[in-house]
Amino acid sequence: MNTKLLTAMALALSFAGCVSTPKTYPALDTARTAVQSAEADPNVSKYAALDLQAAKGELQAAEAAAMKHDEPGIAQPAYLAAQTARLAQLKASAKADDARVAAGQTDRNRIQLAARTTEVDTAKEARDQANLKASGLQAELDALKAKPTDRGLVLTLGDVLFDTGRAELNPGAARNLDQLVQFLTAHPDRRVEIDGYTDSVGTDSFNLDLSQRRADTVKSVLVTRGIDSSRIASRGYGKEFGVASNADSGGRQLNRRVEIVIGGENGEAVAARGRS
Amino acid sequence: MDRAFSKFALALLATTAAAAAAFAANPIADEKIAVAKASIDRAEQSGAPQAAPVELAAARDKLARAVKANADHDRKPAVLLADQANIDAQVAEAMALQARSRKAATEFDASMQTLRQESTRAAQPAQ
Repeated sequence: MNTKLLTAMALALSFAGCVSTPKTYPALDTARTAVQSAEADPNVSKYAALDLQAAKGELQAAEAAAMKHDEPGIAQPAYLAAQTARLAQLKASAKADDARVAAGQTDRNRIQLAARTTEVDTAKEARDQANLKASGLQAELDALKAKPTDRGLVLTLGDVLFDTGRAELNPGAARNLDQLVQFLTAHPDRRVEIDGYTDSVGTDSFNLDLSQRRADTVKSVLVTRGIDSSRIASRGYGKEFGVASNADSGGRQLNRRVEIVIGGENGEAVAARGRS
Repeated sequence: MDRAFSKFALALLATTAAAAAAFAANPIADEKIAVAKASIDRAEQSGAPQAAPVELAAARDKLARAVKANADHDRKPAVLLADQANIDAQVAEAMALQARSRKAATEFDASMQTLRQESTRAAQPAQ
């Protein structure tokens, strides 16, 4: 009885031992882990499917050898499976990075293009404003009937603004000077020189004095209208620099004049004329 | 024909065949060794000496052992070692290429960030 029981227990134990302890092979475990890791990597199925397939094939060979307890036959396919799985992950990682950069190039080009477009727009805007300013200035100068010369832009006030032999401005001069005042107010950096001229009738000293007083009159009008006197120079040139013949009354009238020379936009003083 | 001679001839033939088989070049091992060599060359040219020195050294070591085993007519180890050398060299090459791609991607990301910052700044209205 006792003997029978012991025998049965021993039998049961020996069966249990046979069934419950399948042999483990470390190389095979390593291979399984490596292949599982590669299978779980989404980049691998996308970029290195063939390598993964090869790794799985080697793993199957290793598993088959393990089933047959062919211990020497496990090591080689298990090693190849593990290394091939690693290879698959490395290749997939590189390809994923390359693909990301390639896709990013499109973004980069788009941003660069947008940046260049903005630059171009900004430059165009600046150019347009400069053009507008230039055309505005041109319009103003056209209104003043100023003529470009070596000394600057010259605006001529005829002698009809003055009574003969006198330096007081006629009321009719107001309109012409209004435009000049507007221009000088809009361009506070520009300086002006007011030059007086006469015809050749009368003495030189009288003419010099008269031309200076006429220039001074115009200057004082501008100052009265709010233009800083430091921006305005006035000179009398007498009968010098005539613009027409003094032989007839028409020519003499053209010579009796005040010219306003507008300096550059950087505030340069207008150079005095050399005596001829 | 003499039976004794016949036996002798047969034995001689068998011996010769065995000897020929033993000393003949092993085409499979030769081919695997050539493949492993090519993989090592490729790995060396793609920067593996810097990026994967351990893997490359393992591949070279196994190749040397495969060549020696092949010379010793020890065919099976020659084939197994050549296969391992081949996969080790491929891993070394892939490590080098992966490192290169990762570096390029990181640099690209940095340049994109700079570009985005610049374009954001450029989009601000000028004062």
